[in-house]
Amino acid sequence: MAKIGGWVGKVLRVDLSTGKISTENTIEKYKDYLGGTGIGYKVIWDEVPIGTKPFDPANKIIFSVGPLAGTGAPCNGRTAVTTLWPTCWPKPLVASGHMGGSFAAELKYAGYDGIVIEGKADHPVWLSIIDGQVQIKDARHLWGQGIRRTTIEIAQQLGPEASVAAIGQAGENLVPMSVVINSFSHSAGGVGAIMGSKNLKAIGVHGTGSVYITGNKEEWEKIIKLHLSLLGANNQHVVPNKPQPWAEYYHPGSRWVASSGRKWGAADPAIDTGACDPHNLHRIAYRTNSAAYFLGADAWQYTVRGNGCSSCPIRCHTMLKVPSAASKYGISEIGQNTCMGLLFGRVFFKPPPDGPRGQAAIEACMVGMSLADDLGIWCNYGQLQRDFVRLYYNGTIKSKLDEKEFKSYSWDKYEKDDPSFLFELLPRIAYKEGELGTVLGLGTGYILQGWSIPEEEWTKDYKLWYWKMGHPKHHANEDAGQCGVIINTQYNRDAQCHSHPNFTRNGLPIDVQKRLAAEIWGSPDAVDAVSAYTPMNIYKAKMAKWSLLRKELHDSLSLCNWMGPWVASPLKERGYRGDDSIESLLYSLATGDKKSRQELDQVAERIFLLHRALTIRDMGTKEMRTRHDTIPEWVFKDPSGKAPYTKGTIHMDKEDMNMAMDMYYEEMAWDKKTGTPTVTTYQKLGLGKVADELSKKGLLP
Amino acid sequence: MTHQDEKHEILELALNFVGLNHPFSRREFLLISGVTVVGISALGAKPGKKIPLIIMDKAEGIVIADPTKCVGCRRCELACTEFNDGKASPTMARIKVNRNLNFGPKGVYAGRRGQGNWGNGLITQDCCKQCPHPVPCANSCPNDAIVVQPPTNARVVDAKKCIGCKMCQKACPWEMMSFDSDMNKATKCFLCNGTPKCVEACPAEALNYVAWRDVTDKIPPRVIPTAVIPPDKVAACIQCHKK
Amino acid sequence: MAVARIIRERSETGRLAQPKEILAELIDQGLLKSEDGDERYHFETVLKEVVEKNEDIKEISGSDGIPCYYSALSLSETYARILIQKKENPLSLMAEIVRENSSIYPRPVPLDIFKESPFDFTQDELLVCLRKMAEQREYQDIAQTITSIGTTFLYSTQHLEPDYASSLAEWVDVGQVNNP
Repeated sequence: MAKIGGWVGKVLRVDLSTGKISTENTIEKYKDYLGGTGIGYKVIWDEVPIGTKPFDPANKIIFSVGPLAGTGAPCNGRTAVTTLWPTCWPKPLVASGHMGGSFAAELKYAGYDGIVIEGKADHPVWLSIIDGQVQIKDARHLWGQGIRRTTIEIAQQLGPEASVAAIGQAGENLVPMSVVINSFSHSAGGVGAIMGSKNLKAIGVHGTGSVYITGNKEEWEKIIKLHLSLLGANNQHVVPNKPQPWAEYYHPGSRWVASSGRKWGAADPAIDTGACDPHNLHRIAYRTNSAAYFLGADAWQYTVRGNGCSSCPIRCHTMLKVPSAASKYGISEIGQNTCMGLLFGRVFFKPPPDGPRGQAAIEACMVGMSLADDLGIWCNYGQLQRDFVRLYYNGTIKSKLDEKEFKSYSWDKYEKDDPSFLFELLPRIAYKEGELGTVLGLGTGYILQGWSIPEEEWTKDYKLWYWKMGHPKHHANEDAGQCGVIINTQYNRDAQCHSHPNFTRNGLPIDVQKRLAAEIWGSPDAVDAVSAYTPMNIYKAKMAKWSLLRKELHDSLSLCNWMGPWVASPLKERGYRGDDSIESLLYSLATGDKKSRQELDQVAERIFLLHRALTIRDMGTKEMRTRHDTIPEWVFKDPSGKAPYTKGTIHMDKEDMNMAMDMYYEEMAWDKKTGTPTVTTYQKLGLGKVADELSKKGLLP
Repeated sequence: MTHQDEKHEILELALNFVGLNHPFSRREFLLISGVTVVGISALGAKPGKKIPLIIMDKAEGIVIADPTKCVGCRRCELACTEFNDGKASPTMARIKVNRNLNFGPKGVYAGRRGQGNWGNGLITQDCCKQCPHPVPCANSCPNDAIVVQPPTNARVVDAKKCIGCKMCQKACPWEMMSFDSDMNKATKCFLCNGTPKCVEACPAEALNYVAWRDVTDKIPPRVIPTAVIPPDKVAACIQCHKK
Repeated sequence: MAVARIIRERSETGRLAQPKEILAELIDQGLLKSEDGDERYHFETVLKEVVEKNEDIKEISGSDGIPCYYSALSLSETYARILIQKKENPLSLMAEIVRENSSIYPRPVPLDIFKESPFDFTQDELLVCLRKMAEQREYQDIAQTITSIGTTFLYSTQHLEPDYASSLAEWVDVGQVNNP
């Protein structure tokens, strides 16, 4: 009996205003958009009226996954969360967040490719999904509790295998800078308050079903093993961070940190990570230690093990056990997270005396994780902390707060980098207490607006990393020159695209990178060595387009864009080549819908284009080039005055960037003057109806 | 015929089958290790007598797990069902990790004092112990559908004989039986004919396929079995074990 | 062949095999009876044959001309070169690593990497090397740069200009971590 492969066939619709629960047929309605952000943008386009504000009941929040979620394809544990973004300034626009953990898989096993939440409940509720049994349940006893207690209480009802995505007090209190978290440490930023505005405390899901693979199971096993063989460490770094017996190359900045002598010190007994030859697929989980990478060598002794999303062998979350943090600050001995989550606590402060990778930093991180991941506060890729440091040390906070409130904070502790200060600050953000607590939770755009700080102060200073619309850069020119800048202009929050830095940071020598680049984007000139940028060319535009399309593809298929694409590999016998068609191979076999690499990239382009159309429609302008795709001043200014495209500087040249945007728009077949997609492009990608609607509003070039 | 005679007859049948043709006492019999006494019912039952399936073969290998290395990726569960059954179905996986992943074997009520992601980090991977005689799942099956499969001698569900009654699910003290609801058949770990896919899939070297040894008295049970053993099997057990 | 096997076994443990070590192992295993001059000459020929016949067995010579052997199944050439040089001439090894990194990636090398395996320099050895590099003419291209958090990196001015080197060091040490 042939079953649909990949997709499980139903999108759940929950109207919290009426209590109505229904389902839609995924294939009939959303197949051309794959899943994930594809479904998210489609729902927002079709159903959320222009002018809707994020906390209006008319806003929708879509939790969606792709056909590969829940399968054995490596790195598929991602859930996309799409909604109108509350920190997007000055006008809320569509954006998406993502959370890892177990939610994506569990949702598929319960029989759903997505959940569309609409309306608003009249009292706190949580959504219970046990296979086909979906109920809206009373959450009044959970309201006011942190994410951890909420998760455990729901697990008591649904069983220990359930995946629970919950908001903390920050989301409840409609703090825009809030998250939803599942599986202890996996957060989707920016969406907690949307759930809070709908009185939705949590979604708990338990599924006992299956995700079917249409293709032959032996072939599926082969492609999985191929994919595994091409994996590097976190962010698809393909060389170790110091010489290893098997390695031709190495790079001190690599996240492949395993080595003989480096141990999971808090495992019982300790486990040596060893040389981790890339051919040994049994040791993939030891290659990465995010805590050691971000917090330094001291973190090894505190490492219990790696952790992460279902199905992923990389384990980019690190579970740390730090007894000293527990005894000093009354928090749990155990904390876990990855990337910014790990750094959350530390970056509120100036680097401590023993440096950003010493014991004090580790303790600050433990306190930060403990508080933020329970209260459910978002950092906006560290912008919260950067803004805070600047606003304190330039005297703004002191001038904006009344004396009583200012004195209620222990600033002496803050200036001494004492993590206990976070116990004063973070709850006040979550509970909107006082001017400071309230303002910090709004997001940068609204902080600047509320405190009458001109945006130019932020856009001219590279140290703040601010890009536009209330959000920071995210892998821009510092990572990939013009390609990175183009990517950062395209979204309504920080770009969240890792296709390009995964490649440029993979640790291979520049000649090898150029050889691979030529194969994928047409010329070795597509990539430069970092800090040795050269003027724009069309290959960089192709790389930018590829990066963006693959990000949307991953966010729609459920593949992790923090690990893919897989265009490089650690294997010398392959010339360090990966396989640029892995996504299409997996998709075709799982679903039975055979698509080549190019064909699948076209679907991704359709999804990306829909995001573009939504942005244009909701901004009410076609002048995207000048009004949306903006680049902050600091990108063009080198602090020591070095000229662009000389060695040692990452700053860009305005004319060159203008040419870069020209080339990008040409690659995309959009109108160069406005940066707006043309009717031909919309039609070519099956979005003719979208073009019609935009045409009626005069939003085509 | 007395009970003792019946017993001897069964034993003689069995010994003939393996080419040992002299009288053995019960005690001597049980001391012989590795004697194949598979499917006595297949030898041709005495007319009117149903002779139960007794599995004396020990398995050749067993999957053992190290909870201190499990990183909770669940690739073992996925490999088990995707590569064997063509579907990702952790509920049906014949190695079971997800149920201990978050809180440990004691479940939610262990809270932060427990194991798993919300406790101390340890993740217990539940593996089939390929029990020696008496094999609880096999004994409980009214159709003798759980058999020994050479060359691994894993205890395996013969899908042709399985009627989907689910009695075996209740028999295993470690709750290791799975059920394929698409096929309406029980299923269990069959060691993948000697190269267990879960072991192959583990990215943390937390699973090993080793020479079989009896771990049934070393790992605490998860449940108190509530299966009903078919009466004729009970009678046969008594035959052999009665003094 | 026993010789190939011995070389491979040593490579698996991350070590090179010197001819005298292979000989000693063969004698230990009772495969060789004496160690007189003829045998040793013959042995050199044997080793050459082993390299010719086995694609994975490689020969690598240090500056003293004595060849060592390894199996490419376990060891990369990069690693083998480090092993052979660190015994005879750590100073030249350090310079070569710095120059190679400055040329091919390109980037500077953190000083501390030399204290870790496979280099395993002691703090004293490191300081001695730095001093000698400052003094000796053939190492004048080796320069230092210090990042904003105080980490010392080495680079070769033959391949990297000072500004470029310092920006790269800052990126590796501070920038990449701060842009997670």
